[in-house]
Amino acid sequence: MRTQGAMIRRTFSRTMTAAAALLVALLATAPGPGITAAQSKNVRIAMIAKSSTNPVFLSSRTGAEAAARALSAKHGINVTINWLTPPTEDGQVQAQRIAQAVNEGAQAILISCSDAAKVNGAINDAVARGVPVMTFDSDAPASKRFAYYGVDDIETGQRVMAELAKLMNGKGNVAILAGNQNAPNLQKRAEGVRKEAAKSPGIKILNTFYHVETPQDAAAKVLEVMKAYPEINGWAMIGGWALFTKTLLTDLDPRKVKVVSVDGLPPELPYVDKGIAPMLLAQPTYQWGYVSVEKIVDKVYLKKDVPAINKMELVPVTKSTLGKWARQLKEWGFTDVADEYLKLP
Amino acid sequence: MKAGLHRLLAPVHRQQSGLALLILLLGIALTMFAGSHPDPATDAPVNNFLNSYTLMQTATNASFFAIMAVGATMVIAAGKIDLSVGSIYALSGVAMAMTLRALAPGTGASVVVGIVVCLGVGTLCGLLNGVMSVGLGVHPFIITLGTMWALRGLAFVISHAESILVPDALTDVAKATLGLPPGLYPVPLATMLATTALGFVVLSRTTMGRHIYAIGGNVEASRYSGLAINRLVISVYAISGLTAGVAAFIGCAYYGSAASADATGYELYVIASAVVGGASLSGGKGGAVSAALGTLLIVLIRQSIVTLRLDQNYEWIIIGCAIVTAVAIDQFNARLAARRMARERSQ
Repeated sequence: MRTQGAMIRRTFSRTMTAAAALLVALLATAPGPGITAAQSKNVRIAMIAKSSTNPVFLSSRTGAEAAARALSAKHGINVTINWLTPPTEDGQVQAQRIAQAVNEGAQAILISCSDAAKVNGAINDAVARGVPVMTFDSDAPASKRFAYYGVDDIETGQRVMAELAKLMNGKGNVAILAGNQNAPNLQKRAEGVRKEAAKSPGIKILNTFYHVETPQDAAAKVLEVMKAYPEINGWAMIGGWALFTKTLLTDLDPRKVKVVSVDGLPPELPYVDKGIAPMLLAQPTYQWGYVSVEKIVDKVYLKKDVPAINKMELVPVTKSTLGKWARQLKEWGFTDVADEYLKLP
Repeated sequence: MKAGLHRLLAPVHRQQSGLALLILLLGIALTMFAGSHPDPATDAPVNNFLNSYTLMQTATNASFFAIMAVGATMVIAAGKIDLSVGSIYALSGVAMAMTLRALAPGTGASVVVGIVVCLGVGTLCGLLNGVMSVGLGVHPFIITLGTMWALRGLAFVISHAESILVPDALTDVAKATLGLPPGLYPVPLATMLATTALGFVVLSRTTMGRHIYAIGGNVEASRYSGLAINRLVISVYAISGLTAGVAAFIGCAYYGSAASADATGYELYVIASAVVGGASLSGGKGGAVSAALGTLLIVLIRQSIVTLRLDQNYEWIIIGCAIVTAVAIDQFNARLAARRMARERSQ
């Protein structure tokens, strides 16, 4: 028994000695407070999108990396993108990633906020330690971020509803497909849809439907709702999730139901072609990354003034512009654009 | 004096040295491979992992899970399971934020009201789990699976899916520097240490703790021994709810808001932390310090993916494999130690 106790004490004391040595080393290396931005040939940008499983953010990453390459060559500097996006949406994890980016020496942070209220504190802490923060897609207006790039969400919702009302000749029953109920940008878009619908007496909003933001969950929600509300004539989709699947190509009848959706990614193009979604209001998601990185380099390296709000315009995608848009997507690095659309005029 | 200290820490020695060693090795590996960046103020190189800010942030990230893992360990040691801790966290936080928004009390009162509401709602939810498990005679997996959905749904309905800001007074408490340099916030870490210490004392130094292990180890034998099993089960669920409430208070105060989607999926991290810390899902085993170390190991693994610039898309694969590997190594070490001790005894 004594031998056993001695062995345990030995192991424990060795472990604790090593831990103590590590602790001493860490305290010795602790940097002092009051870090400020310094002029450097390196511009390391931490990019934190909402989720790495959402294709729109993957295209924004492609855009950011392309801008980094172009700006590095143009200014003779080294702009790098450190992708710190969590696998699933979680404002708390985003706040942790902001802190980690600052601790690991990022010169700027670019973020699309899953929950603005959750990341405000972390953004303010980063700014206090000399790291400027810019938002894209989903803003944190109450924080000390220096700029935002993205659409106006209420206007986007209004535009979706206005285009849908035109397709429905100003009358019918509309359902809103709204994604994550906690995302403030989506809440605003849904608000915009309702605001615009109120202007058309013939349009009735039946309900707003939330879902986990995956293509399968979104498509399943649409099918479930269509069974429960067969009177639906129009879907106002404030995000394109449901159209990233092929299911609705066969399960929605374009003669009965019209869809107007935000986003215009390659998997959604057949819906335009078949007349189920006669109009997509595409967010040039590649530009989220490209333009934002340009703004950051302007601010951090070139010391230029950057406007606080940088508005992104939606691109309407219809059957007549399908070919042009498909080629644009291909140029932005999307590899899954169908050849049949690339050949269109 | 020395002998007394060793007697007090004996359970710690046995269970935790292997985990501490793993954490230490991972820490050393991270320090070696994390690279460095120039301090913008002095241009001196700063290790990307071994700096006070990163280490404090790692401890902070671990603290929310670890506080809940201490409560979850008691439930698991009693042979039960609690899948609802993430939802209890969300409901406690939302209830606190809404109460504070409605009452708008003064600075000092906000903190007191916040603590009372958060811990109170957490404990009530835990009690509900315990009472339903005992009263309905349904397996706790089903009961807590149901409350996991119902409590999050309740948080969603009452908050209207809003992310509700909490008063600055709470954030000032959770982000107090306590004399450390600006940007270092030790309150979550201190809360984690205090909760772990309390959990350690309850589990290893009280009659209640011995009874928890007893009913987890053999419920029938405990029944014949006259233990108040139902009361104990309700108590461990109440403690689990209480720790979720504590984590919610610290988390919501630290991040400055509460939302119904908070802590989604955290129950799995909490259970994984307890299991990595040596808790047996069949009951009778587990410890508070081990659970905290298990949490720290998981959080370090998560962090290493970012620090070592590994592809983020592999995060879940790496964490899943690492959890299985950590538990397997722990089991292997335990078997080796048992064999060594048996050999030494026979000599």
